[in-house]
Amino acid sequence: MRPAQDNQGSFLGRISIRRNQFTDVNTEQEQEDLELFQKHIADRFTELLSPPPPPQPPSDETNTAASVPATEQIMSVTWLRKLMDVFLCCEAEFKAILLMGRDPTQISKPPFDRLVPEMLDRSIKALDICTAVVNGIDSVRHYQRLAEIAVAALEQRPLGDGNVRRAKRALSNLLIALSIEDKENVSGGGRGGGSSAASKGGATIGQLKSSSWAVGRNWSAAKQIHAMTANLAPPRGNEAAGLPLPMFIMSTVTVFVMWVLTAAVPCQERAGLANHLPVPKHLNWAQSLVGIHEKIGDEWKKKEKKGSAGLMEEMTRMEKLGHSLVEFADGFHYPAEKEAAESAAAQVAEMAEICRRMEEELVPLQQQIREVFHRIVRSRAEILEVLEQAGKLSAPVV
Amino acid sequence: MAGLESKLPVVPGVKNHVLEACHHVVKALRASDTNLDPNLTKLLSDLESHLSTLEIVDTKVVVEDTGFSEIKKRFKEAKKVILGWEQNQSMILEAGVSKADLFFQALHDVQRVPTSFKALPIRTNKKEKDVYNQAAVVLDIAMFRLEKELCDVLNQYKQHVQPQYLSVSSRGKDIVYDESFVSLDDVVVEATDDQQILGSNNVVLLDPLVIPHIKAIAKAMFACDYGQAFCEAFITVRRDALDEYMSTLEMERFSCVDVLGMQWEDLNGEMRKWTKVLKIATQVYLASEKQLCDKILGDFEPSSAACFVEISKDTVLSLLAFGEAVSLRSCQPEMLERFLGMYEVSAELLLDVDNLFGDETGSFLRMAFHELAKTLADRTVATFSKFKNAIASDESTRAFSGGGIHHLTRYVMNYLKLLPEYKDALNTLLGNMQVDDSIPEKTGQDILPSTFSPMARHLRSIVTALESTLERKAQLYAEEPLKYIFLMNNCHYMVQKVKTSELRHFFGDEWIRKHIASYQHNVTDYERATKDSVSTSRDRCRLFGLAFDDVYKNQTRWSVPDPELRDDLHISTAVKVVQSYRGFLARNADRIGEKHVRYTCEDIESLLLDLFECLPSPRSLRSSRRRW
Repeated sequence: MRPAQDNQGSFLGRISIRRNQFTDVNTEQEQEDLELFQKHIADRFTELLSPPPPPQPPSDETNTAASVPATEQIMSVTWLRKLMDVFLCCEAEFKAILLMGRDPTQISKPPFDRLVPEMLDRSIKALDICTAVVNGIDSVRHYQRLAEIAVAALEQRPLGDGNVRRAKRALSNLLIALSIEDKENVSGGGRGGGSSAASKGGATIGQLKSSSWAVGRNWSAAKQIHAMTANLAPPRGNEAAGLPLPMFIMSTVTVFVMWVLTAAVPCQERAGLANHLPVPKHLNWAQSLVGIHEKIGDEWKKKEKKGSAGLMEEMTRMEKLGHSLVEFADGFHYPAEKEAAESAAAQVAEMAEICRRMEEELVPLQQQIREVFHRIVRSRAEILEVLEQAGKLSAPVV
Repeated sequence: MAGLESKLPVVPGVKNHVLEACHHVVKALRASDTNLDPNLTKLLSDLESHLSTLEIVDTKVVVEDTGFSEIKKRFKEAKKVILGWEQNQSMILEAGVSKADLFFQALHDVQRVPTSFKALPIRTNKKEKDVYNQAAVVLDIAMFRLEKELCDVLNQYKQHVQPQYLSVSSRGKDIVYDESFVSLDDVVVEATDDQQILGSNNVVLLDPLVIPHIKAIAKAMFACDYGQAFCEAFITVRRDALDEYMSTLEMERFSCVDVLGMQWEDLNGEMRKWTKVLKIATQVYLASEKQLCDKILGDFEPSSAACFVEISKDTVLSLLAFGEAVSLRSCQPEMLERFLGMYEVSAELLLDVDNLFGDETGSFLRMAFHELAKTLADRTVATFSKFKNAIASDESTRAFSGGGIHHLTRYVMNYLKLLPEYKDALNTLLGNMQVDDSIPEKTGQDILPSTFSPMARHLRSIVTALESTLERKAQLYAEEPLKYIFLMNNCHYMVQKVKTSELRHFFGDEWIRKHIASYQHNVTDYERATKDSVSTSRDRCRLFGLAFDDVYKNQTRWSVPDPELRDDLHISTAVKVVQSYRGFLARNADRIGEKHVRYTCEDIESLLLDLFECLPSPRSLRSSRRRW
């Protein structure tokens, strides 16, 4: 992870030095910058697709058949945090290419008079997705708390029917929450007053939202993603060699990252999310990105059928463990049979581990997404400022 | 023996083992040798009897230590009470204090079972194990029942806050902006003051009568290790309640896309509403909610703070999101007042927010709030600059008809009149911004510090920009005197606006004096220019008549809206023109026959009163006079 950032530092430094030396942007060097940018994009996503093995094997991971530790798996909360870092790196590098040392009038001329506004429009949509996702992560924290209740109950010794009963209630609520449809989850469909919820299955039933909408009425994550891709096409002809290319790359990365986030955690309206991401398969820089997209896309299609709150790896495992612990609870009679108790204890420990990781990483993930939000806002402002300058510069001519 | 025993640590289990071991030793000694020394035999039997009494005492001690059988007995009663409430869906609270006390007492009895059971020396007895297991189940039933009770009571006894107290009425009329600055007219400016309706008043969100009951539930659930369940339920119900309160304030949620696509009139209303809602939400609802959390969960920190953050998070973030979304818009001059309002309220609330979200769990919200205040500060300053630039660069191609008060002047002055309300915010924001002020140094006349505040300097500099713009517009007039009328009118208007409002403390006496002198100078210039046009034809009476006709025809269409100024102008013009006309007539009385004199001095005097009346169409004197 960190090497990417170091990379970025030196890269920015070089660009600025070079640009300062040559006020008239040298196309050959620009070409070199573009190639470097593509290479960095490719490298970063390759690392995300198959992370290098950690320096030492994980201590006592219980459920890791694959060589990749659970924490590093695609869609794990750790991985999502890495993805945010990658986005921020790509974004910083892109902005350097777009703005640093460049004559402002250049990005106001065709085809940029079309491309730049389109890109800014996408970034506004990305902002709304960030807001929705931050909100969605709050739901995940709610799942975490339900799981924690179940864990605490099942850790009681001697384990009695009362503890199991309590755990089962928490687990059922957890499973309902995890499999609930977007609409019900966020828009409050089927929401009763607290009392009716309590009589059904406890006040802590998976409802997290009341009548309020995270982003705005009628807002739909899937529609936003779709709209972001609507005019997103690889540059052709002589445009393909210049600035339009990194703009296309960055837009693709942005859409992709937003798409991943909406698939990972509960989010307002995601019907048809799997369809809306035309990633160009033949381009070098996009290989790994496409790989990740396919993996997640397949999972999404599976999950979409049965309804799922999100593909975050921890949530998926939580769901699996939840089902098997409910099964354990259903067959439980006091006093516990030794064998069943032992296998349940292992699962409880795993659940506890997931909770611990969520406790450690969900809030930082939220903060990173806020950071992404602010970064997008800042970049947009900087681009608008340059455009305004360009407007002033070109005004006397008009 | 007794002395020895008292020195050993009393551990019931261990003691039993020791006693048993002694028995074995005695038996073994007896068995080992049939010819024991009688003394030793005696000693052994003494020991044996002593041991057996010890044992009896010890078993008694065990029973008294844990009182498990007693606890079992009480559990049976308690179980009945709790299972009775499992079926009964009505509120325990409403069954009365004694019934509620019975429930909590029963719960206490149930809770003692697992504690005592875990303290038992030997836990192999099946009966005891069953009791333990049953108790855990009953405990869970009781907890679940309390969770429901909590939700019911919180919902049932939620207070609905008076809507009129919180009404989000908009103040004044909205300033609608268009490119020509036409729409801000004098009527708009009445600054209505509804800021004061709110202090940091707390409202009652929950009937205080039920608080002891809720606290009892909290205490019971936390004692049984169900604190998390309590918090989850509490958060869920209170968050919904907060949501409801917010929807009574009609604060709708908008995405960034929505806000960027909104018409200015709508956005203006939403921004205005936000400014109020943020204040109400923070100082009334959140402050009261925090109090409620502390009252109920104060004994269970950090749960109280954590619950409060969870309850308010969604509301706070959605409010902040609107501020962030608005800041994405390119700042138009007309947004200045709205941004000022938003900035001011967010800056003002920072202290409240620091108190509400002071601890670690709330730092996320606290920081987000601070960030927004900073963003709004930047946007406000940027908008302020835009406002000034828009005034400085306002251009017209045609002269402003009639020479009256230009709509730009009206707009700017009326807008400026709104600003003193935000003086603290503006002084903070503009403190570091470069400005060219027309009154750079403190002078003897002005003593108020406000006259030299950053805001005052910027206000004067805005008016200076306005004056240059008006000067350019004045150059468009073909008629020299009208140019002066235009400048006079506008300058007089500015002075009036400053003198009659809070603005005078900012502009200062020196500025006012200078500007009065300035428009009086315009008057002199006008008179000179008009007199020149009339008096060039001094030598010929007929020509004077024609020139006067012209002046009359033109200047009756000119406008001097201020009646006092108009009167002054009429008088001074009359004095000067009539005086010189009278002199002319007197000097030429021999040459000009009565019949050649078209106008008497009295005619002139009364006709002059028609000037600057802004008549819609030219009135010709010549034709009407000829009929006489």
